[in-house]
Amino acid sequence: MDDAAIYTAIVEAARQRRPLALATVLATRGSVPRHVGSKMVVDPEGGLVGTIGGGCGEAEVLAAVTQVIRSGAARVVRVALTDPVDSWSQAVCGGVMDVFLEPILSPDAEPRP
Amino acid sequence: MHGLTAVEAARAALEALAGGPAVAVVTLIAAPPGHTEPAGRRLLLDESGGVRGSLGDRELDEQVLGLARAVLAGAGAGTRELEVGGRPFTIYLEAVRAPEELVLVGAGHNAVPLARLGVLLGFRVTVLDDRDQFAVAERFPDDATVVRADFADPFRAIPIGPRSYVALVTRGHKWDFDCLRRLLEADPLPRYLGMIGSRRRVKAAFQALLEAGVARDRLASVHAPIGLEIGAETPEEVAVSIAAELIRVRRQADGGATPSRARAGSGSDVGALRERERVLDRLLPERPR
Repeated sequence: MDDAAIYTAIVEAARQRRPLALATVLATRGSVPRHVGSKMVVDPEGGLVGTIGGGCGEAEVLAAVTQVIRSGAARVVRVALTDPVDSWSQAVCGGVMDVFLEPILSPDAEPRP
Repeated sequence: MHGLTAVEAARAALEALAGGPAVAVVTLIAAPPGHTEPAGRRLLLDESGGVRGSLGDRELDEQVLGLARAVLAGAGAGTRELEVGGRPFTIYLEAVRAPEELVLVGAGHNAVPLARLGVLLGFRVTVLDDRDQFAVAERFPDDATVVRADFADPFRAIPIGPRSYVALVTRGHKWDFDCLRRLLEADPLPRYLGMIGSRRRVKAAFQALLEAGVARDRLASVHAPIGLEIGAETPEEVAVSIAAELIRVRRQADGGATPSRARAGSGSDVGALRERERVLDRLLPERPR
């Protein structure tokens, strides 16, 4: 996966004044699918660009996207991938990831201090 | 001065990815209550020293710039906890730089699937050949650059450096050998240097290079025979085996950023180097027997 696609999606959505969220893996512990710095853009209209690990933890991040876009405030989402291997859950990789989830809003919608 | 938005930082990142100067991106993750800049604002430092944006505090910016310089010099991406005037901040920093370059010397049947895999893996791919009928852009993916170059001096137009991966896959062992010698005698060495050829041919090439005065540790850095041993036969299979080796070298270069799954697997940089030295020693023992 090429990070250029991530940055292009961000620039393009801003041009069209559509809100998105950007997820970045900040830290990992134990066995996780992607390394620090892996990114995923969540576009409420256009779907996903990039991946922070597929089934392993993406669902938890996706669940927080609406709230982050609505509030306009970034937050750190801790994703534990430590379900038992026989649980049939997708979160059985074994590790923990901290993911920075931030809203990307068009300039006029963006809160300024 | 305010911090840059994620959109402004994305524009700067795209310039760096397109071949501009590398840039360190510092993102504010957490700040104490009352801080002027919200989480998500950025400060950028580019390779030529240019600073854009502020995290909202002069002393914080100072501390952060020191860390940003270290990241541009090769330190791993990650979060850092800082204290400024007794107040805690969390930042995340990473470097954005142009993709690594994969140079395929030789545009024959092995190069075609390898160029495709190279593009797929995010390399900037350049293919060189001295024959007009092979150095044809249509044979290769759109994103690959195809150059007609004389094998007598093929790297004149292509600077080789620590972000270059070179696979020598010409039609004739003589050209592979000449290019290998040229690369081993120049500085800096590419990050990856692999040469196609049977064990017997590789041995003869190494022998000749040692006699020509190439240092043993330089020779030990050469991946030859090229590719991971998976029993590859067809050009497509050979390409997969070479691509797998490129991934192994690339991910080892990431150091601490490598996922633990990979770390637990094939071993460290040092391990890989020892492994190659073992190959060299087996082919060409240091002391004559």
